[in-house]
Amino acid sequence: MKFVLLLTRGEWQESGSPAEQGEVFGQISEWFGKLRADGTITEAYQLQPPGTATTVVLERGTSTLIDRPLLEAKEAIGGYAVIDVDDLDAALTIARSFPTPDGKIEVRPVVER
Amino acid sequence: MNADGDPRSSLERVFREEAGRLTASLVRLLGDFDLAEEMVADAVAEALTRWPRDGVPERPAAWLLTTARRKAIDRLRRDERYSAKLALLASLPASAEREPDDRLRLMFTCCHPALDRDAQVALTLRAVVGLTTAEIARAFVIPETTLAKRLTRAKQKIVAARIPYRTPEPDELRGRLSEVLQVIYLVFNEGYLTTAGEQAARRELADDAEWLAGMLTRWLPDEPEPLGLLALIELHLARWPGRVDPEGRLVLLADQDRSAWDRGRVERGILSLRRAAALQRVGPYQIEAAIAAVHAEAPSWDETDWPQLLALYELLESVDPSPVVRLNRAIILARVAGPGPALAELDNIAAALDRYYLFHATRAAMLRQLGRSAEARHADQRALEGTTNTEERRLLEERLS
Repeated sequence: MKFVLLLTRGEWQESGSPAEQGEVFGQISEWFGKLRADGTITEAYQLQPPGTATTVVLERGTSTLIDRPLLEAKEAIGGYAVIDVDDLDAALTIARSFPTPDGKIEVRPVVER
Repeated sequence: MNADGDPRSSLERVFREEAGRLTASLVRLLGDFDLAEEMVADAVAEALTRWPRDGVPERPAAWLLTTARRKAIDRLRRDERYSAKLALLASLPASAEREPDDRLRLMFTCCHPALDRDAQVALTLRAVVGLTTAEIARAFVIPETTLAKRLTRAKQKIVAARIPYRTPEPDELRGRLSEVLQVIYLVFNEGYLTTAGEQAARRELADDAEWLAGMLTRWLPDEPEPLGLLALIELHLARWPGRVDPEGRLVLLADQDRSAWDRGRVERGILSLRRAAALQRVGPYQIEAAIAAVHAEAPSWDETDWPQLLALYELLESVDPSPVVRLNRAIILARVAGPGPALAELDNIAAALDRYYLFHATRAAMLRQLGRSAEARHADQRALEGTTNTEERRLLEERLS
């Protein structure tokens, strides 16, 4: 069963020292490497910083553009991963193991057709 | 056909005893929470129309299972998306073998931390205890439609996000223990003093809570709080024969015939409490059980060991400083130090408990002792406005007249 993990950026990514950020990124990349290798993660991307985002608003045939991300800065999405596990408990265990000092992770099942 | 009378009360009894267990067995066998619950609901609806007409069948549980299965097959045939479930249903045994811990396992699924606390409690009361949505809505004092939405969302999430139905690992068990204990406590309270309606109390719910607490102590023999909760329930149930008179009316603790109390149950309760205390980790349920033990062992209301009760309430307040605990402590304080200091303590929690009828009823009693009868009548009036239990209203009205 597939779940998407939506990973927020976390305070450390805004205000951590370059040394701390480097160390955390090292651990994160190790985490992704291991879970990709055993097939748990089927797809994952880190996203460019929120400043690069454009939000498209569709409304009754018209569209407007907003020069910022959808979510507020403190919950800006920093990346996502698709995982394939047995059940919610397994998905939550993976999410809890994400090696970041702070941040939030939304765990949501996908519609499988 | 069943000999004992009214099909509707038999149905209620059977529903309480069997529906929760049947739901639990079906969830285990089918691995589908929603389907299991709908099957049981369909079977109960059928029983409600048939049993009053044809009488209660000899083996009601088997009848419910057979009907549930037939209804589910009809339902699934109409909806081809679920065709895979048909094979599962065909493989169901003729009688759902009861695994004794099915209901506890279901309870731990309902109390999964990925569900909101409110949803956990509502779902457990619905699926494990077998209360109707109307009854649960009344207990929470929320509209039935709100509760129904909450239940639907929780069940959908269990299915869509695949919240597993399994025996939790020991550390997960401990992580969810406080939720599970609280739900059992709620069930007991609802049985001991029913929130709304004609009956003052519903013994079958209180018995159910005792059964669940007992099962939990066998699952987690090294945890003191399940033993504390079991002791608390046993010690309260021991007083049951004295607290409801032959007309089903409540009798206050001070006026109860203590010779009617179930001494065997008192001893069992005290034994459970001793086993809990031996594990040397005190908690709120154990303290509440100790309070119940003091009452159970007192030869009369006047000979109750009030200073010991006050000490226990102070201990309880140190682990659970909630306004309701402070209210109970104030009641004991009135016995030890008089109504004056107790009334001062009540003033400190007035804002938090303004909507709680027992707060006003307690305040009325203290004002009356101090000779402030006009204020006492006003407080009794406030209490009367706040209770939905017919029996408690009667007690308050007696005092007002």
